[in-house]
Amino acid sequence: MIACVAVIGHQNNPLYIQSFTEADDALKLHHIVHCSLDVVEERVNNPKKSGPTLNETFLGLLYPTENYKVYGYLTNTKVKFILVTTDLDVRDADVRNFFRRFHAAYVDAVSNPFHVPGKKITSKTFAERVSNIVKSFGLSSAG
Amino acid sequence: MGREVSESCIDSLLMEMVSSYCNRFDAKKPELAGRRIEAIGYQVGHQLAERYTMERPWFSDHLEAIKFICKDFWSDVFKKQIDNLKTNHRGTFVLQDSRFRWLAQMPVDPSIENVDLSQDPSALAENKATQAMSMHLYFPCGIIRGALSNLGIPCAVSADISDLLACSFVVRIKG
Repeated sequence: MIACVAVIGHQNNPLYIQSFTEADDALKLHHIVHCSLDVVEERVNNPKKSGPTLNETFLGLLYPTENYKVYGYLTNTKVKFILVTTDLDVRDADVRNFFRRFHAAYVDAVSNPFHVPGKKITSKTFAERVSNIVKSFGLSSAG
Repeated sequence: MGREVSESCIDSLLMEMVSSYCNRFDAKKPELAGRRIEAIGYQVGHQLAERYTMERPWFSDHLEAIKFICKDFWSDVFKKQIDNLKTNHRGTFVLQDSRFRWLAQMPVDPSIENVDLSQDPSALAENKATQAMSMHLYFPCGIIRGALSNLGIPCAVSADISDLLACSFVVRIKG
């Protein structure tokens, strides 16, 4: 189950954070997202250490904590997507698929002429699309 | 997502935008009009860069990003690629388009023909035509500048018209 998704701008400013758990640990999830940014920076600045694919957008598993797994994705415009999930056996293909659809929703939200680059995304359509993508992520990995 | 408009709508919109800014909004200050049109282009280029770099791996250096602008980005926006790219390898690039789509759609202004014939008529007419056309190049300059700055490359872009259809964009990378 996905706990939280976040979009972080290129100056590490949050553009969109949404948690999907009923419990009241939104702050903890924000903290996890924040810490994962350090891992993203490290991966980006030391490509030789992190493996063969040094210029791919999907960064893979950033780090596992005891309850959560955190995945990262970096676009060409230096915008980071962070996914925090409580599932313990998540398939790589599912996460890549999730990020692809999430990127498409993000691009559509940013193309809105009323959206100010660098400010938070306030579009309700984007929030709806994200919650649809999150719901279908749960279904496809269960099956 | 996936909705289309006909190209003539875009052409009319661009011509009307230039004409509004030059003749109505900032009629007395053509430089301000040019800067405002370029700023509109900047925002459009910024958003287009987001969309057209969606599934691509990152660019390893500035040259790769400029080549992306010349090939994929230009074909997505103008249905053709840049015809010639030159660089001095010190941060200046010249992108030449021998048949720039938006210039090709523009009619030649008939009022230019009523000029003082004591001066060389063909040169004067051509001069006025290129002056009018150069206002239309602010928008694509802004698009290029917006796209490159969203890719992390701050730059300044200017344009030259060499003849009625060909133009070149000069990109100077800052820093």
